Amino acid sequence: MEQFAAVKRSKDGQPVRYLIVDDSVFARKNLARMIETFGGQVAAEAGDGLTAISEFDRTHPDIVLMDITMPQMEGIEAAERIVQQHPEARIVMVSSVGYQENIVAALQRGARHFVQKPVKAEVLYEVIKYVLGEDGAVVAAAGAGA
Amino acid sequence: MTESPDERGAELRELFFETSQELLQALNDEALKLEKKPGDEEIVRVIRRTVHTLKGDSAACGLRELSELAHQFEDALSLEGTATQAAVAEIAFAAADVFAGMIAAYRSNGKMPSSKALSKKIADLTAAPAPEKEKTRRTKKTASKSSLKTTTAKTAEAKAAPTSAKVVAAQWTEYEKLAMTQAQASGQDVFHVVVKIDPHCAMPIAGRQLVHNAIGVMGPVLAMRPDAKSPAASKQVEFVLASVQTAEQIAAKCKIPTITSEVHIELLLDATAAVKKPQTDSGSENQKEIPAEASVPESAASDAIPTEDSPAAPSPEAAPANMLENILRVDAGRIDSVLNLVGELIIGKSMLQQALNEFSRRFPKEALRGKFADAMAFQARVLNDLQRSVMKIRMVPVDQLFRRFPRMVRDVARQCGRDVEVDITGQDTDLDKGILDAIAEPLTHLVRNAVSHGIEPAEERRKLGKPPQGVVRLNAYHQGNQVFVEVSDDGRGIDSQKIRAKAIELGVATLEETARMSEAEAVDFIFRPGFSTADEVTEVSGRGVGMDVVQSVLHRLKASISVETRPGKGTTFRMKLPLTLAIIKALLFWVEQRLYAIPLNAVLEIARTFETEVHQIDNYEVLQLRDQVLPLLRLGRPAARERTAKLFVLVITAGEKKYGLIVDALEGEEELVIKALDDHTFSTDLVSGASILGDGRVVLILNLPAIVEHVARWRQQETGQSNSGLLLTSTDRMRLAVSAGTGSAVGGQA
Repeated sequence: MEQFAAVKRSKDGQPVRYLIVDDSVFARKNLARMIETFGGQVAAEAGDGLTAISEFDRTHPDIVLMDITMPQMEGIEAAERIVQQHPEARIVMVSSVGYQENIVAALQRGARHFVQKPVKAEVLYEVIKYVLGEDGAVVAAAGAGA
Repeated sequence: MTESPDERGAELRELFFETSQELLQALNDEALKLEKKPGDEEIVRVIRRTVHTLKGDSAACGLRELSELAHQFEDALSLEGTATQAAVAEIAFAAADVFAGMIAAYRSNGKMPSSKALSKKIADLTAAPAPEKEKTRRTKKTASKSSLKTTTAKTAEAKAAPTSAKVVAAQWTEYEKLAMTQAQASGQDVFHVVVKIDPHCAMPIAGRQLVHNAIGVMGPVLAMRPDAKSPAASKQVEFVLASVQTAEQIAAKCKIPTITSEVHIELLLDATAAVKKPQTDSGSENQKEIPAEASVPESAASDAIPTEDSPAAPSPEAAPANMLENILRVDAGRIDSVLNLVGELIIGKSMLQQALNEFSRRFPKEALRGKFADAMAFQARVLNDLQRSVMKIRMVPVDQLFRRFPRMVRDVARQCGRDVEVDITGQDTDLDKGILDAIAEPLTHLVRNAVSHGIEPAEERRKLGKPPQGVVRLNAYHQGNQVFVEVSDDGRGIDSQKIRAKAIELGVATLEETARMSEAEAVDFIFRPGFSTADEVTEVSGRGVGMDVVQSVLHRLKASISVETRPGKGTTFRMKLPLTLAIIKALLFWVEQRLYAIPLNAVLEIARTFETEVHQIDNYEVLQLRDQVLPLLRLGRPAARERTAKLFVLVITAGEKKYGLIVDALEGEEELVIKALDDHTFSTDLVSGASILGDGRVVLILNLPAIVEHVARWRQQETGQSNSGLLLTSTDRMRLAVSAGTGSAVGGQA
């Protein structure tokens, strides 16, 4: 696994907290590992849209990584509801190429960004830095990564 | 944001439809000029400006097809090299026609005319010239201060390669341009942002959306290419963004990892420029558009033509807004209703006058009489002014009508292979709008005839020793309470011999009659119905197509037409029109216990005579008045009167001729407010209207030209009757009588 300079929250220097939403446990774990290499912290995981909403309300993560096709509630709707409740929520859609339309729809409903499956760590890293913008700070300190 | 509420939109459209007519007219005028002076750049500039205004205005009204076509034309004209092409005038004519068709289609929700042919012509125009100068201009723009490159691509490369600047030249719709100027006006800078999507990005459409989102944070996105809904996976997105942020900030925002590879930002409209530079731009630009043009950033303003291909937005609202300041556009119906009320007041005035007269008779010594009289006089004066003012509202310069003709003459002249010039004078003469509209058709007819039949082909003219170019003159002038409109040509004139022959052939006149006729009388045959349809005459002599139509329109207007012709020298048609249709000064008189009126300006004098003075010549009743012999018109029956009975003879003019109208008694002069009579109530054209007098009596207003014509037409059948003369036939009399009987019922409603 590559090493990335850790990205911390700029306001308090704490690790960026993530909510990972995907119905595939494998996918969740894969993302979680990447996040840890960025110096981030998984605040919660969810396997469907409804859970995602309740987990968001409970943990107030800095970033949500949201799959699109899921049981119960699809990612687009979940993203939309979360943004309605929390306009400041940073949601990054995670999906395969075939779902381009859905991604466009999600972006129109307030998602901040998207990454394509299979997710490449370096891509996600850049995306996260971009999505955090001024709220994220790259910490040069060595050893921050896992 | 460009959507205005329906009502305002509709109002705006109406305004556009009206103003666009002026623009189209200007387009036609300039095209005509250009045709005479091909390649004149100043004229081309005017044409471009006109098209530009049309484009802006139509865009503001949401008339997309029109604005885009106009835009295309404007762009083509902006290119160096196109202006000098001979085809410009031709295309301008075609454009004027297509634009007019489109506007008509918008107006009536009809079918759009095809613009393909025009579009193609315009495209051909742009294809031809060498775009050298254009190239340099574009390059300059790319290199201009405000353009910012935030990419790894070498700046120098972009400067050197004008092709990459093509990227910048997206076509913004009029909606978008409007939005741009509005944003600028609200204090935001307007940026043109070109973002290249990373070629490795597997989801370019999503990427585009992402860029859109990102850029949306910086300010309102005014335009986007490709469209947000477009399914095309283009590798590049263009935006027009209004923002208070700097170009650098925007560029940073657009740099999206894994999505975008390059960002170009150019400042299109500087918000501060809008405030600071009210009127610095090149004077060649249309004044109306100065606010918009001035707001172009300096870099662009230094170009000769700032609007060239940049989305520097026009300000479509500026033009109408300026005009609105001093001009109020009012529905003609409203003015008519005011005029109608003024008419009622005039009736009221005469009621008061009658009451006062009676009062004076009953109390001749009452001191109050004087006060009443003063008040009445004052009221009458104000009423007069009021009437004149209201009438003035309805007045429009004849130019509105005249100016269409140069184009029409050109087209007709082309069709029939003539070389004709139009000479217009007196276009400032004012005429009632209603009359103006009504004479449009007859006048068109006359002009068309003058060109196609009056003017000879250039060859023939040369042989005759005339200048090869024929002239059709339009003239208008006031004379007293009348307006004259003339159409004359210097063509071959009307051959009265041929008219005579035709008259005999058609059986409208006998050989002896025609022999006795003066030239003028013979030529007058062309106004006879039926005569017009004889096409040999039109081919040979060149006159008469639909002249009776012309005549009938003019009758309806209480107007007349006369013709003057000199063989080989030309022909003049002269229309004599009333100043207004609504109120006339009239002379009231009695015939067979019925009250009638005729317009006072038709009356030359009033004479008294005895039955014994009436002579019979060839079935004409005539009267010798001083050194003139007047044909007499008798409205009533030629009852066996005692030979000593006294007669009133009103000497009237109808057309250019004088007649004596025999009446039983005179009533007086009166200002009459004409109440139109619908065709259901009246089946005769002998009466042109009715009016109500102060005491509630109804008076019928006679249509003199129609009466004269009737008499002339019926004379044939009456020949042989001992005491006929110039009489109305009994059927006509009956019709008149019936009209008078029903008149009061009509008046009651009115």
